[in-house]
Amino acid sequence: MDLVWILVLLPIVASAALVSITSERVHYYLCSAVLILSGGTALTLYGSPEIFTFHLSSVAEGGIVVADVLLLLYFAYQGVKFKSRMVMILAVMQLLLYLFAKLISPVETAPEIVVDTLSKFMFLIINIVGGIIILFSIRYMKDESADPFKKRVFIAGLLFFLSVMNAIVCADSMLLFFLLFEMTTLSSYLLIAFRNDEISRSNALRALWMNQIGGVVILLGALVAISGFDTLSISELLEHSGQMVVLSVALLSMAALVKGASIPFDGWLLGAMVAPTPVSAMLHSATMVKIAPYLILKLSPALGGTLLGEFLSVIGASVFVAASYLALSRFVFKEILGYSTIALLGLMISLAAIGTESSISIAMVLILFHALSKALLFLAAGVLEKQYHVKSIEEMKGMIQRAPKTVGYIVFGFVSLTLPPFGLFMGKLFAITSVTSILHERPWLLIVLLGMIVGSVLLVLLYFKVASALLSHPSDTVLTKREHLPFGYHIPLILLSFLILFTAVGYTLVQNDRLLALFALPLLIVFLLPIMIRAMERYDRIQPYHCGEKESFDAALVYFEPSVFTQRLIYWGFGAMFVALLLAGALS
Amino acid sequence: MIWVWILLAPLLGGLVYGGERVLRARMQRRQGPPFLQPFYDMFKLMDKRSLIVHAPHALLAVGHFFLLWVSVAAIFLGWNLLYIIFLHLFAQVVLILAGYSVRSVYSHLGANRELLALVAYEPILILVSVGFYLVSGSFEIGRILEGEGYLAQMPLLFAALLIIVPIKVKKSPFDVTEAHQEIVGGVEIEYSGVFYEFLYMARFLEYLFIYSFIFLFGGISYGVGAVLVAATFLLVNLVDNATARVRTGDMVKIVYGVAMSLAVINIVGILR
Repeated sequence: MDLVWILVLLPIVASAALVSITSERVHYYLCSAVLILSGGTALTLYGSPEIFTFHLSSVAEGGIVVADVLLLLYFAYQGVKFKSRMVMILAVMQLLLYLFAKLISPVETAPEIVVDTLSKFMFLIINIVGGIIILFSIRYMKDESADPFKKRVFIAGLLFFLSVMNAIVCADSMLLFFLLFEMTTLSSYLLIAFRNDEISRSNALRALWMNQIGGVVILLGALVAISGFDTLSISELLEHSGQMVVLSVALLSMAALVKGASIPFDGWLLGAMVAPTPVSAMLHSATMVKIAPYLILKLSPALGGTLLGEFLSVIGASVFVAASYLALSRFVFKEILGYSTIALLGLMISLAAIGTESSISIAMVLILFHALSKALLFLAAGVLEKQYHVKSIEEMKGMIQRAPKTVGYIVFGFVSLTLPPFGLFMGKLFAITSVTSILHERPWLLIVLLGMIVGSVLLVLLYFKVASALLSHPSDTVLTKREHLPFGYHIPLILLSFLILFTAVGYTLVQNDRLLALFALPLLIVFLLPIMIRAMERYDRIQPYHCGEKESFDAALVYFEPSVFTQRLIYWGFGAMFVALLLAGALS
Repeated sequence: MIWVWILLAPLLGGLVYGGERVLRARMQRRQGPPFLQPFYDMFKLMDKRSLIVHAPHALLAVGHFFLLWVSVAAIFLGWNLLYIIFLHLFAQVVLILAGYSVRSVYSHLGANRELLALVAYEPILILVSVGFYLVSGSFEIGRILEGEGYLAQMPLLFAALLIIVPIKVKKSPFDVTEAHQEIVGGVEIEYSGVFYEFLYMARFLEYLFIYSFIFLFGGISYGVGAVLVAATFLLVNLVDNATARVRTGDMVKIVYGVAMSLAVINIVGILR
């Protein structure tokens, strides 16, 4: 249990220290220390099989109530200050619901904090990937034009967020979970608004009200649990069965869909892309949005094999397809990454909701590998933004000539998301196998299977379309300059790439499938490439063929813009499914 | 023994390709090239001076060829169908990256089309293997070939597969990835000499790859499989001679609309 306290408290201490110290070098030391210590702690915890439980003292209980009320009042104040009616109404609604829930809630007997295997797994991702992103953000902030104090607060904020995330994945009491859920909403709100211009502000407010809907449904779920079983503990709720459980679980899953920015809530995550890149990497792809699949995984005992679970997995798979499709019309690089995050979160939710043993483990594996690859991609996007001032893929044409290393990392990121032998590919492969094997018993999963197949192939199209803009190297007769990549940027990218490789190899070994060794082949090619390139020196070089036209290379990128009608159809359809989830919960 | 066949796979594919050229010529009442023309071409290409644009571009073509060879080898060895499909996907992506890696408009156009073709046929291949799994209980080709009655149980999946065969062997109405005059050879344009030979032989392997799927429908009776392959071979060439090329976007729509629906209806039928 002490180790868990380290994870929760260490980042807070570090963030307090960071605000007060100005030296950049100390910042590096501090963040590296946090990365090594909390990463190591998470690894140790993951190695131990024990399940810890912890009961909060009544003082802490009081503190939670005060924190919650203050937080909701702050939201209401923001709503008034920036004249956002939605934010205001939802904040007041939550406040009333919360106080009512607190009023009728029983004296808690179950422990509020439970650290199980799933929590330990999440610790691993949060601390290692999160730590690396924070390390990156020091250098990133150096290039940001803002007040030095504000920059320090930014990094400290990220550290603080790390501890919130560590806490949320072991919260078992619904009201504690609610508080931490709202804290992540708050971090998201503050960090999106960091640049404080008009567009940041309006996007931040949108993120706020959409996420508040999640808060409302969590409270409703808690109210159902209290009135049905006199408990606030999620694990205790899952031990019961009956209609009230299903309803409560349905409400909590709705919160997961909101946090995972599933369509129709994709707007907030897309808007969040105006925030500085470390925020996008940390909150909006690697850690915070992972609450969505995490929550479904936690609820999966009550979902597997039920109508609700099946419906949820259909929603997840549809989001996978629809978000991949919508991404094809975008040209801002970070928005493309954002949509593909939404898509893959949908896939994870879908697998988690199926609830068989294999689908659950695949969902967990996807969470890990997605966090690594997307963090790498976002950080590389950050480098392009700061070093070369490009954001749209239209501006990135032929980028490999200007930034060969960064482009290399990006293409590696794409490959790790789609191709063998990397983890995400393996996850998709096993997902198809796993769903197919239970198709006879649960034929409805055919929709999920179709979604997986089509969604995966759409993502291949998406990533390699972007790659087409980055690549296109001129003939070897033209010299390319070597790219200088500052250490502050380069080290995190190297760390992430190594982790991707390392985990992929590890996962292949764990599977203990002889044939999987086949997929190691591509790696071999990559390692042989430098030698082979040297051997190519004996061939003569030519310029590309232009059919006798004067050279003017400008290949267009493919875009697929859905018509306004299709777009409306998608949004209304998913909106209806979101509401229908509640009905499925209430009626089954 | 099986390893000898694997080693000879490109030659085997070359024979199929040569045979096809003769067949097509006869359908058009032409004399056509000799049966062994692909091999004469090979010797000629090996003799030519190789010019390359840049090293990775040339190497990716070689990588594409070897990855395809591995996936064909995996078919011969009777491995997991899904693994084979994804290995093939990898080989395809290598080719697409090669197409994108040069500053040539035609190469980019070709790569775009390859990518869209991939989007079109990949789901169908996976659905066909799902069908095999549902009927035979395994993704392993070795096991699938021990069962029988696939054609009776999955006729619509077979039809769906027939629709995508022309995409893979670059035949009308779905020969958009090649489309001679339109995009001047597409991805292949910047290759010459021995590197073009690798791409040329990769095409032979594609033949083996896609026709293997047809062969699987015969199950344990290899004779039926062989008849199916021969019939498909004839049909594809007949259709090639009789139809015009469709646009890339229309190809995707046709495959998603028709082939996908057929596949889904068939799978629902199996599940009932």
